[in-house]
Amino acid sequence: MSAIVGSAPYIYVCTRFRVRRMKLIPQEEYLRMLQMSLPEIIRLIQETEYKREIDELSHSFHGIDLIEVALSWNLAKTYQKVLAIMPEGLREMTESYLRRWDIQNVLSILRGKAQGLPPGKIKEVLIPAGELNRDYLDKIITCAEPEKVLESLKRWRLFPVLARELPRAAESGSFSSLENELYKQFYHDILEETGAGIKGGKEFLEFLRLEIDIRNLQTLFRLRVNGAKGEVVTFFIPGGTFTVEELVRLHEVSSPDAFFDSLTAQLKSRELVSLLGRFRQKNGLAPGTLHEIESALTLMQYSRLEMMARFHPFSIWPILAYIERKKQEITNLRAITRGKQAGLPMEQIRNYLVM
Amino acid sequence: MVDAVVTQAAIEMSVEAVQASQIGMKALAAAIAIAGTGFASAWAELSIGSAAVGAVAENKDLFGSVLVLTIIPETIVIFGLVVGLLLIL
Repeated sequence: MSAIVGSAPYIYVCTRFRVRRMKLIPQEEYLRMLQMSLPEIIRLIQETEYKREIDELSHSFHGIDLIEVALSWNLAKTYQKVLAIMPEGLREMTESYLRRWDIQNVLSILRGKAQGLPPGKIKEVLIPAGELNRDYLDKIITCAEPEKVLESLKRWRLFPVLARELPRAAESGSFSSLENELYKQFYHDILEETGAGIKGGKEFLEFLRLEIDIRNLQTLFRLRVNGAKGEVVTFFIPGGTFTVEELVRLHEVSSPDAFFDSLTAQLKSRELVSLLGRFRQKNGLAPGTLHEIESALTLMQYSRLEMMARFHPFSIWPILAYIERKKQEITNLRAITRGKQAGLPMEQIRNYLVM
Repeated sequence: MVDAVVTQAAIEMSVEAVQASQIGMKALAAAIAIAGTGFASAWAELSIGSAAVGAVAENKDLFGSVLVLTIIPETIVIFGLVVGLLLIL
């Protein structure tokens, strides 16, 4: 009996997210925004669900900065609300997935400090959706030196990786290696937690593998397009369906045709094979197509998420579909507003949108 | 003569017993029909009701549609009730 009644919270929550997903900005709306001027876009955003954040922040920020901060605040609030209504089991999985925002926030603070940005400016880009809440992040921002930042993050679960990699990053001035190591540890931890036999963990594990694959493929394309040589093994995240060795081998294939052939031979997803076929026919791996490939991979991830959400309507999938789509909505709105402000042509802005 | 009277009485008693048993069986069948459909309705409404409340929590305009959807499984128990009444009456 409890097994039957126990499904009710899952059904309730998953339906809420399906309805929320329907409320996100549709593709036609983005296309309409592209035709508008910046003040018109700002006015339009003010009339949507971002109104409350815009009103709250209008005393401290103006113009495009106001929109940018309001979007970040809205995203953080949305994710906190997501966690608040989640039933046990789903909450733990979602919480662990949202911990990725901690990495982004810590790196933003470190990068901001390295570039000598004022705390107010760094605060604008933070999205406190993970374990490190707004107050905690505010405290870290006030630290003047990266060493002080490190000290105040002693309680963070990724602190050992940060402590190990930060001196090297500070010395070289590049945080990319630190970023890679943090994400590797994040995925390692989350895969370990999910593999511990929690309810609904199988579906979550499947999603994590898909995400790792997409990230690794994006890295692989970036490395090939930029012609990176030498030790590339550290750039790939273990845990996906492709092993790191396979990815390194693919990177080492010199001829573009042989690269596409070996990659296609290893792919299990038909969607990915047809996607690669499209790029192969077009113009191979020219630098201009990199962004296009990355967007297509992200879009493929979303379409797979939504397909799985339909197959498993009362699981973690509809929630992840909403979380990812919401994040993309914010990214798209930022791209449109920033692009318009910079005076970019409509077509160029459109290329940056994933819809 | 005595034997015939005893046999007649036994026949009458067994007819009464069979009739009583038939009524009992009908009542039991009606009870099973109503209880079974009641549980089926409850089970269906559990899922539909949870989804309905979730949908209305996000969009109040959906109230009318989800109310209809929540009521539909009630027909199952009405069928059970009709079958039960047909059995008894």
